[in-house]
Amino acid sequence: MATQEQWLELATKQMKGKSPDILTWKSPEGIDVKCLYTEDDIQGLETKVQYPGLAPYTRGPMATMYAGRPWTIRQYAGFSTAKESNAFYRRNLAAGQKGLSVAFDLATHRGYDSDNPRVAGDIGKAGVAIDSIEDMKILFDGIPLDKMSVSMTMNGAVIPILGMWIAAAEESGVQQEQLTGTIQNDILKEYLTRNTYIYPPEPSMRIVSDIMAFCSQNMPKYNTISISGYHIMEAGADSVLQTAFTLADGVEYVRAAIASGMSVDTFAPRLSFFFGIGMNFFMDIAMLRAARFLWHRLMQQFNPSNPKSSMLRTHCQTSGWSLTEQDPYNNIIRTTMEAMSAALGGTQSLHTNSYDEAVCLPTDFSARIARNTQIIIQEESHVCKVADPLGGSYYIEYLTNQIVEKAQAIIDEIEEIGGMAKAIESGMPKMRIEESAARRQARIDQGSDVIVGVNKYRLEDEKLDFDILEVPDSVRLEQIDRLKEIRSTRDEAQTQACLEAVTKAAEGNGNLLEVAIAAAKARATVGEISDAMEKVFGRYVATTQCVSGAYSSEYSEASSESAGIIESFRKRTGEFLEKTGRRPRILVTKMGQDGHDRGIKVVASSFADLGFDVDISPMFQTPDEAAKMAIENDVHIVGASSLAAGHKTLVPELIAKLKEQGAGEIGVVAGGVIPPSDYDFLFNAGCKAVFGPGTPITTSAGKVMDLLEAQYLK
Amino acid sequence: MFKDPSYYIQGVLDFNRLMLARTITLIESQLSTHQDIAREVISELLPHTGKAVRLGITGVPGAGKSTFIESFGTMLTGLGYRVAVLAIDPSSTRSGGSILGDKTRMERLAVNDMAFIRPSPSGGSLGGVARKTRETMLICEAAGFDVIIVETVGVGQSETTVASMVDFFLVLQISGAGDELQGIKKGVLEVADAIVVNKADGDNITRAKLAKKQYETALHLVTPSSPNWTPPVMTCSALEEKGLSEVWDTITQHKKIMTATGELEEKRRDQSMSWMWFLVKEGLETWFYNHEEIQKVLPTIKERVETGNMAPTRAADELVSILGKELLF
Ligand code: B12
Ligand SMILES: Nc1nc2c(ncn2[C@@H]2O[C@H](COP(=O)(O)OP(=O)(O)OP(=O)(O)O)[C@@H](O)[C@H]2O)c(=O)[nH]1
Ligand SMILES: [Mg+2]
Repeated sequence: MATQEQWLELATKQMKGKSPDILTWKSPEGIDVKCLYTEDDIQGLETKVQYPGLAPYTRGPMATMYAGRPWTIRQYAGFSTAKESNAFYRRNLAAGQKGLSVAFDLATHRGYDSDNPRVAGDIGKAGVAIDSIEDMKILFDGIPLDKMSVSMTMNGAVIPILGMWIAAAEESGVQQEQLTGTIQNDILKEYLTRNTYIYPPEPSMRIVSDIMAFCSQNMPKYNTISISGYHIMEAGADSVLQTAFTLADGVEYVRAAIASGMSVDTFAPRLSFFFGIGMNFFMDIAMLRAARFLWHRLMQQFNPSNPKSSMLRTHCQTSGWSLTEQDPYNNIIRTTMEAMSAALGGTQSLHTNSYDEAVCLPTDFSARIARNTQIIIQEESHVCKVADPLGGSYYIEYLTNQIVEKAQAIIDEIEEIGGMAKAIESGMPKMRIEESAARRQARIDQGSDVIVGVNKYRLEDEKLDFDILEVPDSVRLEQIDRLKEIRSTRDEAQTQACLEAVTKAAEGNGNLLEVAIAAAKARATVGEISDAMEKVFGRYVATTQCVSGAYSSEYSEASSESAGIIESFRKRTGEFLEKTGRRPRILVTKMGQDGHDRGIKVVASSFADLGFDVDISPMFQTPDEAAKMAIENDVHIVGASSLAAGHKTLVPELIAKLKEQGAGEIGVVAGGVIPPSDYDFLFNAGCKAVFGPGTPITTSAGKVMDLLEAQYLK
Repeated sequence: MFKDPSYYIQGVLDFNRLMLARTITLIESQLSTHQDIAREVISELLPHTGKAVRLGITGVPGAGKSTFIESFGTMLTGLGYRVAVLAIDPSSTRSGGSILGDKTRMERLAVNDMAFIRPSPSGGSLGGVARKTRETMLICEAAGFDVIIVETVGVGQSETTVASMVDFFLVLQISGAGDELQGIKKGVLEVADAIVVNKADGDNITRAKLAKKQYETALHLVTPSSPNWTPPVMTCSALEEKGLSEVWDTITQHKKIMTATGELEEKRRDQSMSWMWFLVKEGLETWFYNHEEIQKVLPTIKERVETGNMAPTRAADELVSILGKELLF
C-alpha cells in the first residue's frame, strides 16, 4: 500500500523540489485549505456521522433525502402591482415552479402606504406594492391557498402583511389551520444587514414572539420564522460568519419564545432557516452540513424532547452578489454551480437567480432559465438519487468540521456579550461583515479574487443584448387611486376601532397578529396598521458605524506594487488639500427606502482610505434632506447609491434641490444597480458620472478626482 | 471661493444656510489666502456675537453624545431656539481622510430647519482637534443661533481646548462595571460645569444612580472653578428623552448666576486672551515647521536625538536659534 511519505516525495518532485505546503490556500474564513486531504484529516471527527435523518443531522434532515423527494423549487418574485405579480406567478407555476415566494416592494417592507411622500421613488420597483387586503386578494387570485405553500419575505411590516394574507385566505374560504408556508419574520438580521426594520429591537422581538404564539395555536403547518443567513452573506460575510451569526440569531429567537411562555417543543419544530450559497463550491456544501450539526448541538441547552426541535431545515438562495453586470450570461454558469452546491449540501428548497440579476428584476425569459437550472439538475442529472453523496469525502468532512469549530468560537464570543441582540447593539457583527466586504472589494479591485468578465477576460465592447424589466411610475398612481377607493368605501368607524385595538395590543393587551387580522378585514391599510403600532413602539433609527483601514490594508498586505496604488491616490488627495485648502469632501447618501448599504459602506470606507473626507448620511433620505446635508456640510460632491430602481426619480430631484438652494456647484454622481440604458437619462439630468456594479473603487475614486480637479484646480 | 469678504459677512448675517456653510469652509481652509479673507470676515462678524449659549459636550466614545444632542437639540428647537451643532471628528485615518457619520445619529435634528449641524474632520490638521472650532462657533453666533453645541470625544487635549471656548462644559458619562472613576480624567472633573450620567434607562437605572453618587463624591474632592457654582451630577436617558429639560434648566440657571455675578463676562474675557495665546502658539508652530532651514536640518537632528547622539536640550536650542537668527535681521 502507498504511504504518505511516498506521496510527499512524488509531490515534491512534481513541484520541482518545492514543498506542496506552498499550495495551501487561506480561505476568507481563515481556513487553511491544503492541496490534498486523506483519512488522517478526518480521524474521529464528531461531525462525521453515518445516517441522514437522524441526529445530529450532518447528512441531512430526511432519511432518504432527494431520493424520496427533491427539494422544492421556490423562486422569489414580485414587482409592480398585485395584478402583474399574480399573472407572473401563475405563468411560473404552470412552467414547473413548485412553491411561491413573495417579494414586496420597499414601501410595504417599511410600513408605508403608497401615497406617502417619503416613498415616491419606491412603489412597485423592487417588489410588489401591497397596501391593503384588496391588493392581497388580487395577488393570490386563482391560487389555492389551502394547497399552495407560500413563502413571504416580510420582517418590518410583518404584522399587517401576515394579517392581510391570513384575512385574504379566510375571505376566500380557506381556514387558518390549512395554511402552509413560511414567513421570514427574522427581525434581527434586518438591523444587521437587510435594513427593513421599522420599530426598535425590543418591541420587534415581541412581534416575533406574538407571531410564533398565534401560529403555534392556529396554523400548525406554518413556518413562523425563517432565520436568515442569506442576507448576512450578501452583505459581505464569509461562510463561517454566516453560519455563526445566523445560528446565534436562532438561539436568540428560541430564548425570546421561551421567555414569552412557550415550551420549546411547541414552536421549535416550525423554525426554518435560509442560507446563501456562494461561489466557493465545497465550502458552502460543508457549510450546510456544519450548520445542521451545530444547530442540533446548540438546541440541546433547551432540552427539547421532539427530535424535530433541533433539526435544521433550510431554504437556500444562490448568491446574487456573485453575479455580474458584465458578460451577464456567465451568470447562468455561476448560478448552476451554486445550485449544485446547495443540492449537494442538502437544502430543502432553493431559489436560483437570473442572469440579469445585476441589472434589473427578472423578466419572464431570465426567470425561465433560472428555474430550468434547477429542473435540469433535478430531472436530468441524477444528482438526486443518493442522499448526501459527498458524505465521507475527506475534504468535505474536514471543511464541515472546520466551519463548526470556527463558527462555534464566534458564537461563544456572542454569548459572552450576552446573546445576539446585545451583540448587534454593540455593533460587533455588522463591523465584522463590513470589514469582510471591504477586504473582498480590495481583492477584486486588485484582481486577486478573479471574477471572469469583470477583472479578467473582460470584454472590450460590452453591449446589453437582452430585454430589461422596468416598472413604470404609473404603478404609484394606480396604488394611490386604489387607496382612495378603499378609504372612501370602508366602514370608517369600524376601521378606526380596529386600529385602536392594534394600538391597545401594542401597549401590551393582546396578540398583535390577531388584532391585525381583524384590522385587515376592516380594510385598514399597511401604513395605518403600522402607524397604530408606531404610536407605542416608536421608529428605530440605526447607528451607522464604518470600518476604516480594511481596504487599504488588503492592498498593502498584497504587494508593494498594490501598496503603491494606494499611496499615489493619497498623494493626489493630499495635493488637492494643498492647492484648495481642504481635502476632497464627498457626501455618500442613500435616498428612498433602498436599504442596500454594502456598496455605500465599501465606498465610504475605501474613499476615506484614499484620503477623502467622507460624510455619510442617515439611511432613507429624501432628496430634500440629502441636499440640506450636502449644503450644511459644504461637500464638493454628492454620491448617491441606488440599487432599488429609484434612481430616475431620486437623482434628478436631488440635483434640482441643490440648484434650487443655490448650491448648483455641488456635483452629483450616482452608483449602484443602474441599467446602462438609463445612463443618458441621468447625464441629461445633470448627473456627472455613473458607476455601475463591478466598478473598481480605484476607477470611481479616480473619476471623482478628475471631476473635482477640473472644477477646483483651474 | 469669493475674494470679497462681504459676501460671507452678508450671507452669515442674513442667516443664509449655504453661505454660513461656505464661511465655515473658508475658516477651516488651510490656504493662507483663504485665511486672510477669513480673518477679515471674523473681525467684521465679532461685534455680532456674544448672545448665544455656548455649550461644550464631551464624553468617551459611545457615551451617547450624538444621541444626546439629537434629543436635546430637538427639544430646544421645540422651545423655539435655533441650534447649531459643531461636531469634531477626531477619527482621522492614516490616509488623512475621515469618515464623518455624526448625522446618522442625529437624524431628526439633521433635517430640522431650526438646526444646523456641521461635522468637521480634524484629519491632518496641525493643531489637531478644534483648531477652528472657536471661530466657527462665533460665526454661527453671528448668524443668529441661540444655542451652540460643540461635541468632542474625550481624547487627548480636546476637552480642555473645548472647555476653554464655551460657557458651559457638560461631561457625559455612562455607568459601567462600578469602577466609574477610573474612566474619568481628573482634569476633566476640574473643568466640568455638570456631569450627566446618560443611558439611565431600562435595567440600567440603578447602576446610573450609583454612578451619580460616586461622581458626587469625586467632585467633592475637586475645588470648583467658580465660587458661585457647584457642578451638579444628574442622570438622563438620551434615548428615551428623559431628564433633558432638567439639564437645560441647569444650564440656564448657570447662565443666570454667571451673568449676575459678572463671571460670564470675565470668563469670556479670559477665553479671548487664551484664544490669542493659542493663535500665537499656533502661528509660531507653523512658522517653525515651514521654515526652510528647519526643514533642512530637522531630519538629521531628529535622528541624532533618537539614536542618543545628541541631547534633546541641545537639539531644541539649536532649532530655536535658527529662528532666532532670522529675527535679528
Ligand atoms: C447584496 C444584495 C442584497 C443584500 C443587501 C445587503 C446590504 N446590506 O447591502 C440583501 C440580500 C439584504 C438584499 C435585499 C434585497 N434586495 Co438586493 N441585491 C443585492 C445584490 C445581489 C448585490 C448588491 C451589492 O451589494 N453589490 C456589491 C456592492 C459593493 O456593489 P454596488 O452596491 O453595486 O456598488 C458598486 C458600484 O455600483 C459603485 N457604487 C455604488 N454606489 C456608489 C456610490 C458612489 C459615490 C460611488 C463612487 C460608487 C458607487 O461602486 C461599488 C463598487 O464597485 C444586487 C444584485 C447585484 N448583483 O448587483 C441585488 C439587488 C440590488 N436587490 C434587489 C432587490 C429587489 C432586493 C430587495 C428589495 C428584495 C425584496 N423585495 O425584498 C431586498 C430588500 C433590500 C432593501 N432593504 O433595500 C434588486 C433591485 C432591483 C432593481 N434595481 O430593479 C437587485 C438588483 C437584484 C435583482 N436583480 O433582483 N439585496
Ligand atoms: N440605552 C441607551 N442607549 C443610548 C443612550 N444614548 C445613546 N445610546 C446608545 O449608545 C450608542 C452610542 O451613542 P452615540 O450617540 O453614537 O455616542 P457618541 O458618544 O456620540 O459616540 P462617538 O461619537 O462615537 O464618540 C448608540 O448605540 C446609542 O443608541 C441612552 O440614553 N440610553
Ligand atoms: Mg458622536
